[in-house]
Amino acid sequence: MYNLLLKEFKLGVNPFFYVLPLLTGALMLIPGWLYFLVILYFCFLTVPNMFAGYKSQNDLMFTGMLPVTKRDVVKAKVTFIVILELLHIVFAIIYGLISVRLYPNMTYYFFSPTIGFWGLCLVMLAIFNLIFFAMYYKTAYKYGAASTVSITAATLFAGVAEWLGIQSPLVHDLFKGSGADSMTTQLSILLVCTAIFAIFTFLAYHIGYKRFLKVEI
Amino acid sequence: MLVLDIKNVNKQYEHFSLKNVSFQLEQGYIMGFIGINGAGKTTTIKSILNLISLDGGEIHALGKDITQHELELKQEIGYAFGDVNFYNRNKIKTLTKVIKTFYHNWDDETYRRYLKKFNLNENKKIAELSTGMKVKYSLALALSHGAKLLILDEPTSGLDPAARDNLLSIFQELVQDGEISILFSTHITSDLEKCADYITYIHDGEIVNSAEKEAFVDAFRLLNGSKEQLELVKDHLISYKTNSFGFTGLIYTKDFDRSQGIISAVPNLEEIMIYYSRKEEAYV
Repeated sequence: MYNLLLKEFKLGVNPFFYVLPLLTGALMLIPGWLYFLVILYFCFLTVPNMFAGYKSQNDLMFTGMLPVTKRDVVKAKVTFIVILELLHIVFAIIYGLISVRLYPNMTYYFFSPTIGFWGLCLVMLAIFNLIFFAMYYKTAYKYGAASTVSITAATLFAGVAEWLGIQSPLVHDLFKGSGADSMTTQLSILLVCTAIFAIFTFLAYHIGYKRFLKVEI
Repeated sequence: MLVLDIKNVNKQYEHFSLKNVSFQLEQGYIMGFIGINGAGKTTTIKSILNLISLDGGEIHALGKDITQHELELKQEIGYAFGDVNFYNRNKIKTLTKVIKTFYHNWDDETYRRYLKKFNLNENKKIAELSTGMKVKYSLALALSHGAKLLILDEPTSGLDPAARDNLLSIFQELVQDGEISILFSTHITSDLEKCADYITYIHDGEIVNSAEKEAFVDAFRLLNGSKEQLELVKDHLISYKTNSFGFTGLIYTKDFDRSQGIISAVPNLEEIMIYYSRKEEAYV
């Protein structure tokens, strides 16, 4: 499994995508922006490009010839994506901390970069992972439909969350009202969202593996 | 000892199927796996490497069932695909660094030796290698992890005659000690006349014959005769071509009656393949 992960790091993806979190993270410096987009860029750019690379480099055949189990193949790929996702979130958080200090008196119409907001970003990625991997591993090379559906679902989640943040008094209070100032509330939201991310991603791996078993290379 | 034992392998696709494919390869020999394009060579090879699931049959490599001992066997099987490229924008060096981590028996010294022997420059990208060099790189990898069985899919296709000859000499050298065995598929039959010990011929998903090379060829006769003589043997011929002088046709040696006075010769592999693949056309 570690050698497969090493393979992903060294061959699977262009080093540009390790730099990308630094660039997209900087978008957090736009005052009062729709910050879900910062994380969504990972889904828009990195994922389709990476999987196009796998397809053109015959990664499926290459990996199929190696002495590895199909379970480890899926596990390594999901783990690799999760590492990249966390990289995007960590950089966005760092830029977010700078952003709130740069503009201390900003009025945020959309979610501000609070701890709870990063939790919502994790849920968005959880939805993305579940749909993407479940669809991708039907063939293990066709990424178009899987990307389209998973990106649409993640974007819809972001849209609905923002809408509720404006329209629903409860959500507004949790993220923008008194809840935003309560560390306990924010950390609880993050904890629940992290659990959702973990469960959904594990499910993505599990469904992906079951489907990959039936794939003929 | 049998390094490869394929028994009644069946695989059904929408427009093609492998039907009861069976053949065996003895340790220390080269087997040529021939057939026209689309006859089922690559599908059979994929099933040996457990890349596709079988509808029926069994495959044992190095004495072990491939479906049950896939990982162990992949440590001991080397492969080269003539026409498939992996990560070809990467340098040999980078690719090797990744690949070697997967093999328990990887030996750097052997790897260096083969790089030198095959004149492979580690700093070259895969895309910069000629087709022959790519096959040599695959061989270097396989031999460095101590592969005992080499499965080569069309390794000589697209190579110039000198490069082909060079590669065939390497194959012969490899099996000399009797430890390594090679199964290689090709439609370039002259390669096999040079180096194969056994021939397995697949046609339309079915094995026509699998035998030691001389015996394989000896099972067929190529007949040359007049139009009148054609009428005598027509029903026994596998297929035939007519011309202004008469006919040329392929027949199983067992069906050939020498007393009819028709000129016969031992065909070469190419002739067997050509006439056999005309079989269906003849009845259309």
